[in-house]
Amino acid sequence: VTTPTAAQPQTLDELLVPELERSFGLALHLTGERAEAEDLVQDAALAACRGFGTFKQGTRFRPWFLTILTNCFYARYRRARREGTRVDVDDAMDLYLYERTAELGWHDGSADPAERLLGRLESHHVQAAVRDLPEEFRVVAVLGLIEDLSYAEIADVVGVPIGTVRSRLHRGRKLIQRRLWQTAVDAGLVPGTRREEG
Amino acid sequence: MDRLTCAEVFERLNDYLDRELSAEEMERVREHLDTCVVCASEYAFEARVLEHVKDKLRRIDLPPALIERIRATLSDPRSRRSD
Repeated sequence: VTTPTAAQPQTLDELLVPELERSFGLALHLTGERAEAEDLVQDAALAACRGFGTFKQGTRFRPWFLTILTNCFYARYRRARREGTRVDVDDAMDLYLYERTAELGWHDGSADPAERLLGRLESHHVQAAVRDLPEEFRVVAVLGLIEDLSYAEIADVVGVPIGTVRSRLHRGRKLIQRRLWQTAVDAGLVPGTRREEG
Repeated sequence: MDRLTCAEVFERLNDYLDRELSAEEMERVREHLDTCVVCASEYAFEARVLEHVKDKLRRIDLPPALIERIRATLSDPRSRRSD
């Protein structure tokens, strides 16, 4: 019986296939379209195939592949960047949802006010909030939220300074909070709105 | 080492959530949260929101056909050409 050791090189198939589900999720949040996401993952797999010689066996495969996938995303959308989706980033307050739910008195007695709000929102609401982020915020937010990468790892993948990652990640999260609140208001999911259910 | 004020903890809240502070700074924030109800409430809320957002973003199923497309790409010798 042969026992696998760290010294044995792994094939791209062995390394990549277990990563596909999360990679597709990442691609879907970056592109916002399932067909586009499939094509992006396919592009990244092909690029990984061609560049596999540069992968250092024994190092973490995931960041290496994420760098490729992110670069493929930038290459595909370089000409198609949507300038019309810009939002006023400075307009998003800190603790946006905390302040809004505090105004409703949800922090006075509710054991879990975040659950009370977020539990009413569906996955597609959150996915839409991420999809609508400006691209530079969306890429960093997705890498942080889906991949749980550190600031330094995101900086390596995206190719920007750590301080820029930190700023974009925090501001992106504020924008997501603001968008989620607006979604909850529009859907009448919080008291004092169209279809009061509070 | 001086205890952190509420304002100083607020400045560090996102980095604390992301576990990006030094071990010493993490401990200083933790000490403050243990003794300040308001900051602890803000932190708990932000942490739960983040948890919900991550959970909802991760509910994505991989299309079975994509696995087959990728496997075909990986097994195709032409895929290894760089031209």
